[in-house]
Amino acid sequence: MNSAIQTESRDDIGFNIGLAIVCAFTAIALLSLLWTPHGVEAIDVDARLAPPSLKHWLGANHLGRDVLSMIMVGARASIMVAVFAVGFGMVVGVPLGLLAAATRGIAEDAVMRMSDIIFAFPAIILAILIAAVFGSGATNAVVAIGVFNIPVFARLARGAALPIWTRGYVMSAQTAGKTRFRVSLEHILPNIAPMLIVQATVQFSLAVLAEAALSYVGLGVQPPAPSWGRMLADSQTMISFAPWLAIFPGLAIFLFVLGLNLVGDGLRKRLDPHHITGVL
Amino acid sequence: MQTSCDRVCMRLARMFAIAFLTLASLSNAFAAGAINVGVQLEPPNLDPTSGAAAAIDEIVYANVFEGLTRINEDGSVSPLLAESWKVSDDGLIYEFKLKQGVKFHDGTALDGQDVVFSLDRARADGSTNAQRPIFELIESVEAITPHAVRIKLKEPLGALPTYLGWGDAVIVAPESAETNAINPVGTGPYLFQRWRRGASVILTRNENYWGDSPVLDQINFLFIPDPTAAFAALMAGDVDGFPNYPAAENLGLIEQDDRFKIVTGTGEGEMILAINNGKPPFDDIRVRRALNHAINKQAVIDAGLFGFGTPIGAHFPPHHRSYIDLTAQYPYDPTEAKRLLTQAGFPEGFSVTLTLPPPAYARRGGEVVAAQLEAVGIDVAIRNIEWAQWLDQVFGNKNYDLTIVSHTEPLDIDIYARDEYYFQYKNEVFERVITELRSTADPARRDGLLKQAQRILADDAVNVFIASAPKIAVWSKDITGVWANAPVQANDLTKADVSGRAPVSVDASYSVSRMPLWPLLLVLAVAFAVVALFARASPAFLAGRAVSMALTLFAASLIIFFFIEIAPGDPASFMMGLNADPASVEELREELGLNKTLVARYAEWAGGFLMGDMGVSYTYRTPVSELLTERIWVSLPLAIIAFAISTVIGLPAGLAAAALRRKKRGSLIVGAAQTGVAIPNFWLAILLVMVFAVSLRWFSAGGFPGWNTGFFAGLKALLLPAVALAIPQAAILTQIMRSSTLETLREDYIRTARAKGLTWRETMTRHALRNALIPVLTILGLQFAFLLAGVVIIENVFYLPGLGRLIFQSIAQRDLIVVESIVMVLVFAVVAIAFLVDLAYAIVDPRLNASGART
Repeated sequence: MNSAIQTESRDDIGFNIGLAIVCAFTAIALLSLLWTPHGVEAIDVDARLAPPSLKHWLGANHLGRDVLSMIMVGARASIMVAVFAVGFGMVVGVPLGLLAAATRGIAEDAVMRMSDIIFAFPAIILAILIAAVFGSGATNAVVAIGVFNIPVFARLARGAALPIWTRGYVMSAQTAGKTRFRVSLEHILPNIAPMLIVQATVQFSLAVLAEAALSYVGLGVQPPAPSWGRMLADSQTMISFAPWLAIFPGLAIFLFVLGLNLVGDGLRKRLDPHHITGVL
Repeated sequence: MQTSCDRVCMRLARMFAIAFLTLASLSNAFAAGAINVGVQLEPPNLDPTSGAAAAIDEIVYANVFEGLTRINEDGSVSPLLAESWKVSDDGLIYEFKLKQGVKFHDGTALDGQDVVFSLDRARADGSTNAQRPIFELIESVEAITPHAVRIKLKEPLGALPTYLGWGDAVIVAPESAETNAINPVGTGPYLFQRWRRGASVILTRNENYWGDSPVLDQINFLFIPDPTAAFAALMAGDVDGFPNYPAAENLGLIEQDDRFKIVTGTGEGEMILAINNGKPPFDDIRVRRALNHAINKQAVIDAGLFGFGTPIGAHFPPHHRSYIDLTAQYPYDPTEAKRLLTQAGFPEGFSVTLTLPPPAYARRGGEVVAAQLEAVGIDVAIRNIEWAQWLDQVFGNKNYDLTIVSHTEPLDIDIYARDEYYFQYKNEVFERVITELRSTADPARRDGLLKQAQRILADDAVNVFIASAPKIAVWSKDITGVWANAPVQANDLTKADVSGRAPVSVDASYSVSRMPLWPLLLVLAVAFAVVALFARASPAFLAGRAVSMALTLFAASLIIFFFIEIAPGDPASFMMGLNADPASVEELREELGLNKTLVARYAEWAGGFLMGDMGVSYTYRTPVSELLTERIWVSLPLAIIAFAISTVIGLPAGLAAAALRRKKRGSLIVGAAQTGVAIPNFWLAILLVMVFAVSLRWFSAGGFPGWNTGFFAGLKALLLPAVALAIPQAAILTQIMRSSTLETLREDYIRTARAKGLTWRETMTRHALRNALIPVLTILGLQFAFLLAGVVIIENVFYLPGLGRLIFQSIAQRDLIVVESIVMVLVFAVVAIAFLVDLAYAIVDPRLNASGART
């Protein structure tokens, strides 16, 4: 028992650290709307490739743009793309999953088949395909990552809803004359919400990684708007003499994803101590 | 559990030790007497008469193919296959006397008929020659004796000997002309040996060359598009030099390295901010002049070209003797720019789109240009596009406001006189100057005309002429005899030499390390059959899974096909290059079957795919299945090695973490896994390159030597990328293995096992492990699909010629059929693995058969 309590408290530490990191990044992103140390698009030719210093805390890049300012504004792009992509996946996927669980039959088959088809595309390949066809940019990155989130939430919602449909109070609600639509909305959704929230955190961190990968290959947010992945791509030729250009943006991605994962783990243990072991 | 962990560590250590010993002995993989030359772009084919791609000339011009004349390093023209020539007084008839004893690489002799054939072919209807408009000025070509040719012109063409020295005018033989695209046969000092697509072209010395034999035994041209990889390849010793070094930002570092020398020469490239003169508000000269005043050229040069460039005032290179310096006409003056804008009726500025093609000078320079335009009140939106889209939208359809591009053809000021050119500039005075120039041979008059042309362009502020970029080459110190200047886009290596390297015997018997794809499919089918037999699964279950797999594949193929179909960009115009003739483009479309209906093309593609025939690549003009097979032998081993590493680390680590869950070491593993999951694999890859390739130099920073240079050489090249891929996956696997084991340990039968007296260890191995592995199986299947996808990104970091590089290359080149095929193959792999996992479940978990369903 003693050890269980210790585990609990350690999880709490992890959760709190994660929450602190996520809040810090959100705060940085919000702050960047009002203030950055330097103008984010300002090009200071004299400061080209300046190492970290009092003037440029995290150095300046090959154009003389301030790295810290770019990371701050980049956080915005990262969060925006991830929020919209996961939101898109949830808004489309959850109703589909609820529908599948409520009606079974053809609708369920259709939803599951569609999920299979989307899952047949490795996520990044699907995103590359979409971005390559419709052009690169934040909106298309959202769609590309969002599409992959649809089946994730559709499957999860369906899988979680099915056992609840067999519960007594759901059956009695049905007997009382509530439509399947109302039952889904009033009984099923509130019951599966914790699971959806946990999954959303996981998907959010995956979306941050995916956005970074897309902008790394040049298919994400377009310059001069900064993004973490693109900063990494730009830094690559200069790693031998300006390593800070490669280290700080990567560190930002890493810390943010780590924070999100810690929050996700903590939430999972709080909301749903026995279920869900998947990391996908 | 710690023993298992220790054993893994030991095994890993031993593996690394073996790997290091092997690679130490193999570090000198490339033979001496040969040089490795890095070039930025891979040519679409190797026939310089077939299209405008400069990448073709960069390999075969002067080395493999020769023309009647040749362009020298200083831009002058001298005889080559023609010994001498005479011009009639009216300038309409040229007689060329051919050299005796010249032989093509296939042994046939060169005579007048070959010249007639080559020039007739270049100007024929249906010719895809990029300079066809010039060759069409030829009235007739005839062989007056076997070694003399008479060329009659429709109008005087003073620069004919120069044009005949271009790559588009090389002499080819009728017997080999059709196959020159993939197997070039010329008269030059080097023989074409082999082309590994996405990787290299190999040339070897022509022992039967008619002139002075070259010194080098062999030249390997390696394709390295990415500036990062270029620097890495140089540092790692993978290449001996770059005739055009793409990463100017680290020249300072190279300068300090005494292994290299930097050779700067004049280039023909003019970097311009092109303005769509036909589109308001740019049809107003005051607006164009305002743009000219708004741009600080030096700042753009510093950012886009890292300071390596000379500001220019017109579309003309400063090293040419007819150059006049017009840079003072529009000094950098934002106030004047604003004044002109106000005068033109835009006191508040306006909004424009700045369209940027991929090269670094455009993307980097573009950011500075945008900032400077914003400073005078013009609202700029940057749009980055691929070359194919640029050719289609900007160059072809003139659908743009502003763009940054470098024009690299020598002496190409005449493009401003072309109808319908993408600048949409029209000035009859200028057109008359160019027409006169074309028929003028007198140097003094040509000089005057060229100067007049420059002044008109500057007065009209047609574009913002930013800079003339020098040709910057980086070479290994021991290489001599290479060109410093670039009067034509070519890398003439006929006089190149390396001192102090032993010669190698020229081995013509390169075995092609290609393997057919079908054994893979066979293996898969056998696996299906075996699993189906052993599982004794219900036929309904198996059939159901098979049907659903087929349906998924069908739907996916439809999605992929229609997706790619609606993609913008025309492959034909991309293949033909910048200055291609529209008629030639149309003929190529016909040839590629692009004019057929959608349904017909889908049926052809999908049907062919089933039969193992994926069609012919638009770009490489070779079967797609061949391209894929070459690449799959990089991507698949990479995925397998990464899979092995992640499994070897992940499973024991997860098990250990579960077993030690109350100990400090257990939480250490959990923490490490938590960290690993959050690391983006491409960042990890960069960090690994930083440490192991750039600092320690244990590994090369990229590239793949090919499996035929030895198994361990290949393995060495894949090790860092595999580690970068494997670490995050291993972390995921650790987490899953841990939670799965923990869940199993809660089961009653574990308690029973312990109760009946089994040791902790026995319980773990006999009961817990096996049951914990069941959910892990699904994850392993999924992971392989993830790894295949991850390969796509990682290959681009390490410049490995696998499927990942091929897919980006193909997207950039609008080689749609290759993109379709790669995605389809990846989808097939994912679906097939999912199916195998389903079947494996049927074996492992007998409960499944009763219901035929899974949770």
